Amino acid sequence: MKLRRWLFALPALLMVALFVVVPYLNIVLMSFRTPSATAIYGPGFTIQNYARVLTDSLYLGLLKDTLLYALATTSICLLIGFPVAFHLARTDSRWRGLLYAGVLSPLLTGVVIRCFGWIVLLANNGLINQLLGLGGLGPYRLMYNPVGVTIALVHVFLPFMILPVMNSIQSVDPRLGEAARTLGASGLRSFVRVLLPLSMPGIQSGVILVFVLSASAYIIPMLLGGGQVSTMPTVVVQQLMGSLLWPFGATLALVLSLTALALVALFGALTKRAMRRVA
Amino acid sequence: MSRLRIEGLNKAFGGVVAVQGLDLDVAEGEFVSLLGPSGCGKTTTLRCVAGLEEPSGGRILFGEKDVTRLPSEHRMIGMVFQSYALFPHMTVRENIGFGLEMRGVSGTDADKRIAHVLETVQLKGLEQRYPRALSGGQQQRVALARALVAEPELLLLDEPLANLDAKLRDEMRFFIRSLQQRLGITTLYVTHDQSESMIMSDRIVVMFGGRIHQIGSPEDIYNHPASAEVASFIGQANMLKGRVVESRDGVATVETAWGRFSCSTNRPVAVGSLVTAMVRPEALRLTNGADRSDFSGRILARHFLGNVVDYRIALADGTVISVQAMSAGALPAEGPVSIKVDQDKAWLLQ
Amino acid sequence: MKRFPTALLCFIGAVYAFLLLPIAIVIPMSLNAGEYLTFPPQGLSLRWYVSFLNSEQFTSAFVRSVGVALVVAVLSSAIATPAALFYVRHLRSGREKFRLTMLAPMLLPEVLTSIALLFFFNQLFFGTGTLAPLVIGHVVITIPFVFLTVTSALYNMPAGVEEAARTMGAGAWTAFRRITLPLVKPGIVTGAMLAFIMSFDNVNISLLLKPLGTSTLPIQLFDYLRYDFDPTAAAVSTISLTLTLSVVFLIDRIYGLRAVRF
Repeated sequence: MKLRRWLFALPALLMVALFVVVPYLNIVLMSFRTPSATAIYGPGFTIQNYARVLTDSLYLGLLKDTLLYALATTSICLLIGFPVAFHLARTDSRWRGLLYAGVLSPLLTGVVIRCFGWIVLLANNGLINQLLGLGGLGPYRLMYNPVGVTIALVHVFLPFMILPVMNSIQSVDPRLGEAARTLGASGLRSFVRVLLPLSMPGIQSGVILVFVLSASAYIIPMLLGGGQVSTMPTVVVQQLMGSLLWPFGATLALVLSLTALALVALFGALTKRAMRRVA
Repeated sequence: MSRLRIEGLNKAFGGVVAVQGLDLDVAEGEFVSLLGPSGCGKTTTLRCVAGLEEPSGGRILFGEKDVTRLPSEHRMIGMVFQSYALFPHMTVRENIGFGLEMRGVSGTDADKRIAHVLETVQLKGLEQRYPRALSGGQQQRVALARALVAEPELLLLDEPLANLDAKLRDEMRFFIRSLQQRLGITTLYVTHDQSESMIMSDRIVVMFGGRIHQIGSPEDIYNHPASAEVASFIGQANMLKGRVVESRDGVATVETAWGRFSCSTNRPVAVGSLVTAMVRPEALRLTNGADRSDFSGRILARHFLGNVVDYRIALADGTVISVQAMSAGALPAEGPVSIKVDQDKAWLLQ
Repeated sequence: MKRFPTALLCFIGAVYAFLLLPIAIVIPMSLNAGEYLTFPPQGLSLRWYVSFLNSEQFTSAFVRSVGVALVVAVLSSAIATPAALFYVRHLRSGREKFRLTMLAPMLLPEVLTSIALLFFFNQLFFGTGTLAPLVIGHVVITIPFVFLTVTSALYNMPAGVEEAARTMGAGAWTAFRRITLPLVKPGIVTGAMLAFIMSFDNVNISLLLKPLGTSTLPIQLFDYLRYDFDPTAAAVSTISLTLTLSVVFLIDRIYGLRAVRF
C-alpha cells in the first residue's frame, strides 16, 4: 500500500535519477578519459586532463579571472541588494506589490534580452555615452571589457540576492529593533547588532546563489565581452561546440565547479559562528 | 442499547501508545466529554470513533453495528474540527450541501434542509458568502451546520471552541449544548477545559496518559474524584496525607501531623493504612477558635476574588493549604486561625 | 507609516532603475525608424517588426520556442505535481533528502547540467538529432519550480479539509477530486506558467542540446547579436518580452504574484 504511494513520486525521481544523477556521474567519468579530436573520447583513462588544467597558467588564469568576476559580482550585489531587500521587507507602501514585481520580472525575461539592453546602453554610441556626450564627457569604453561584463552580471543576478535576503528580513520581528532602541542603541547600532546578524541566513543564501551563478555564467561574458573577455565557462562551451576534446572540457568544467564549491564551503565555515546564533 | 460503544480500544503510533484499554458506553442523546491534558489520548480516541485513525486493537460499535473496520465516509457521523476545516473554495451553502451531496440528497430536498439547518445555527442570509468573509464565530457555526445537516448518528467535536475569544466561547458553550439537547443527538466532545466540560456534559470521561481515570457526572467527578490526578485537574484541591484511625459507615477518621479530621469514603478502609484525602478549598471553614476545630494554622496571604476570598494558610509543620470562603465575614490578612473540615465534602482518594 | 530615510529611498530608486532600464529600453528601440541604436529614436516605425516577420529563421525559432515551452509546461506539471502531493501528504521520513532531490536541477549550475546532458545524450542515446533531448533538458530544470509552487499551495490549504470531506461521506478519490484538486490548481497552473517562461527563455540547455540546423528564439537572438546589430534584435526582444510578461501578468491577475514563492 505504501509502495503504491511512491508511484506518485516515481516519474519525478526517475527524471532526476536518469537525467541529473547519471549524467553528472558521467561528467566525472568523462574527465578521466583521453581526449580525441575525432570522437567523443579516445581509448583508456588518464589524469592528464587534470594535470594540464592545474599546471597550465592559461587555465589557472582563467580560473582566477572567473572567480574574480564571481567575487566582484557577489559583493556588489550584496551591497546594492541589501537596502532594496530591507525596504521591500519592511515597507507598507501600497506600491509594494509593484515593487516586488519589479524585482521578480527581470528573472522572467530572458538573459539574452537583458544583455541586449545593456549593449544598447553601454555601446560606444549607446545611450549612456550619448548622454555623457551631451555633457561633453566620454565616450567611455563600457563594453567588450570587464566593466561591461560585471555590470551585466550584477544586473542579471541581483534578484537572486534580493529575494532570499528579503525573505530573511521579513522573518525578523521589527519590534526587536524597537526593543534595541529603547535599550539605548542608535538606529545604526540597532541595525548592526540586531538586524544584520538575524538576516544572516538570507545573506548566506544570496551570496552562495549569486556566487555560483556568476561563476558559471556563459552568455553574459560572451555577449558583453565580445570575445575580449574569456572566462572558464565561455572557454568550456566553445571547446565543446567547436572541437571534440570533450574529456578536457569536462575537466575544465569540473575544476571550476569544485573550486567554486570549495569557496562556498569556506564561506559557510567562516559564517558558521554567525549562523549558529540565529538558527 | 447504547448508541456508541467502545471496547478495549488501543492505539499506538509507531512505538508510542496513545490510547490503552479504553471502554466507554454512550447512551442515545447523551453529551459526553473527553477531558484531559494535551497528549492524554482524547483526540486520538475521537478520531478512532470518526474513522480517521485505525485502532491497533479493540472494537467500536454504533448501536449493534461493528464499525471498527468501516471507512470514515461510510459511518454516519458529523464532525467539527478545531480549525473548522471549511472548504475555502466553496460558499457557505456549498460547504453545508457537500455532505448531503455525498449521501445522495440534492435539489429542493437539499435546499430545504440547508435552509433549515442555517436557521438552527442562526446564520440565515449568509449562504453565498465564502468562509474568508466570515468571523470566527460564524465559521464555527457553519462547521456545526455542516456536521448536522445530514442528520448523523453521532456528533463529534474536537475542541471546537479553542480558537475563539473568551466571551464568544462562553456564548457558544451554551449554544452548542442547547442545540444538542433540542436535537437529541448523541455527542462526543473533546476538550482540555474542565469548566467547559462541567457546563456542557451529561457525563465526563477524564483521561490521563492514554487511560480513563474516571467516568461520571460533573458532580461525581468534582466531589468524588477517583484519583489524585482527577482531583487536581478539576478545580483546586488540598491533598492531606495521614493514617486511618477509625473507619465506619462511609466515614473515615484520619490522623495527620497537624490534627485529626473525618472524611467521606465509599469503600472499606483498613485501620492503620496510609491515605490521602482530597479537601476542596470551599470545604474548609475558618474560625477564630470559638468552635471545635480540626487543626490550627496561620494565614499567610489573602486574595480578594470578588465573591470569594482565597486564603493561603500554613499548618503546624509548614504545609500550605488553600481555603476559600465567602467575602462576608472575611478574616484579617494575617494571624492565627482555626480550621474545620466539612466531613461531607472531604473525600478519601484511592 | 514606515518612514525610510530619503537618501535610502533615492538609492533604492536608482537600483530599481538599474534593474528595469535595460529591459525597458528595448521597447522604444524596436520602434526606431533609424538604422542605429541611437537615442532618442529618429521617428517611429514598425520596420523592424516587419524584418522579424520576414526572417524565416526568427519566425521558425519563435514557433519552435513556443511549441517546446508548451510541451515542457505540460510535462513538467504532470511529473512534478504527483511528486509534490506525495511529499506533502504521504512522505514521513527522509523529507529533506527528497526535497533536495526534487530541487537539485535548480540548485546545480545550468551550464554543468547542459554539459552533462550533452555527453549523456551523445553517449547513451542517439545524440541531439531530435528535439527530444532539448525537451527533456527543459523539463528537468523546470520540475523544481512546479514542485515548489504545488507544495506551497498544498501547505496553504486549511488543515483538515480532506478529513472533513471524508467524515461527510466522500471517498478518498472524491475528496481528492472535489477538495484537494481545486485548492491545489492555482499552484499547478502557476507552476506550469513558470515552466513555460523558463523553457521559452532558456539558453544554456538549448545551446548545447538543440538539433543542428534548428534554433530556439533566445539562441537565434544570441547568434544574431554576436554578429549583427540592428534593431531587428530589439523587435524580437520586445515580442519575446511581451509574451513572457503577459504570462506573468496572467499569473498575477488570476492568482497573485505571491503564488510565486521560493
